[in-house]
Amino acid sequence: MREKGFAFDLGVVLAHLPEMLGAFGLSVAVAVAAMALATAAGLLVAVGATSRWRVLVALCFAHIQVFRGVALYVLIIWVYFGLAITLQVNIAPTPAGILTLALLDSAYLAEIFRTGLQKVDRGQREAGAALGLSDGAILWRVVVPQAVRSMIPAIGNQFTDVLKDTSILAVIAVPELMYTSQSLAQQTYRPFEFYTVAGVLFVIGVSVITYAVRVAERRVRRGAVRGVVAPAGVPMVTSVSGREPGEPPRMEDER
Amino acid sequence: MSFDFDIVLRTLPAMLQGLVLTVEIAVWGFVVAVVLGLLVAVLGLARYRTPRWIASAWLALMRGVPLLVFMYWVYYGLPQLTGATIGSFAAAVVALGLTGSAYMGEVFRAGLLAVDPGQQEAADALGLPRSTAFWRVVLPQAARFMVAPSVNVFVGLLKGATIVSVIGVADMLYIAKKVSVQTFTPFELYTTAGLILVVITVAVALLGFVVERRLDRGRVRHA
Repeated sequence: MREKGFAFDLGVVLAHLPEMLGAFGLSVAVAVAAMALATAAGLLVAVGATSRWRVLVALCFAHIQVFRGVALYVLIIWVYFGLAITLQVNIAPTPAGILTLALLDSAYLAEIFRTGLQKVDRGQREAGAALGLSDGAILWRVVVPQAVRSMIPAIGNQFTDVLKDTSILAVIAVPELMYTSQSLAQQTYRPFEFYTVAGVLFVIGVSVITYAVRVAERRVRRGAVRGVVAPAGVPMVTSVSGREPGEPPRMEDER
Repeated sequence: MSFDFDIVLRTLPAMLQGLVLTVEIAVWGFVVAVVLGLLVAVLGLARYRTPRWIASAWLALMRGVPLLVFMYWVYYGLPQLTGATIGSFAAAVVALGLTGSAYMGEVFRAGLLAVDPGQQEAADALGLPRSTAFWRVVLPQAARFMVAPSVNVFVGLLKGATIVSVIGVADMLYIAKKVSVQTFTPFELYTTAGLILVVITVAVALLGFVVERRLDRGRVRHA
């Protein structure tokens, strides 16, 4: 039935390329929507986790721990097949997927925001207070803008993870790239072609995000005042003769 | 809405057997990731441009492709190419190992860079061959920096390994699904499975924390 041997059937891929690209568009849209929701939720959780009220702090930490500990696949089937069926809630796959992704993502982002907020020098808050700024103004006009700079790489990484995680929504039949690849692979008996194309599209998407983050980082660093941001990715050389000149200890990576 | 504990108790033994399978897949995937990751890290820190280029290309590929895509690609795609089928267990291990290799490569790279260059210099001064210096001097010291992030990678792979039922591995979620379809108790069984998995990931993370503290205890502190 299947053709064997090394034959990448480009024709069948090209014939279905518009569908694949459209599906990838949905993957990106789902990732962006989940990221947007998670940013809002994560910011609230992070502010709560750094607040003065103990109960709120405990709740926010619980949120972070629980949702960073749960696997997306487990959560999505629990929400979609467990909870929704039991509560008899009729929710369409795509919004269910976005909400679940956002829920998980908010915990990771909250942790990124929390550590970023705490990295900002205390003196900045004190200076704001000394100038008579309100608590809100200190947070939003003084602390957050400085914290954002140090968070950019981590947020970028998180975005690539969310984009990749959209593929898991295939299990609840969200017609994103992976789901579309599965159905095309089954229709045409060409799994190798379609899963390869899916992989390539994801690699392209992730590379674009990585590149954009690097550009954003560089721009922000240029505008930074007096070393607020340590140049990320530059290893500290403690020994003068540590490595030979032609031997830079780095790979193209920012983590 | 009532929670049917009876069905949970009756399904639990089978689910735990499935859990063992998930953990086995995660462990083997981690082993593959460690081997490949060390290779990628060494290539990435090489003196010459070509190996460094290969390492960054590998990282970009392995980090860009979602685990689920890898599983389908290895399980359904590769057999079309090679004509030989691959078992679902092996396919899951390969997919996890490939994805993990990028993360482990980063862990190794960061760990190796964290070792004081003076150590390499001292080894050179003593006339140790490069490979001896790497295996006996640099790597053992780097290992300390690698424990905590490696545990994170393992936890990530364990969470990733929960999707193996999509290619037909009879893991805990596969059994939960099968039984819940028969008995219409998805809420009970998926909740149980989810709780068990959260407990396991938290336990592994705690274990890593303990190991890290112990390693730190033996550490010689520099002024």
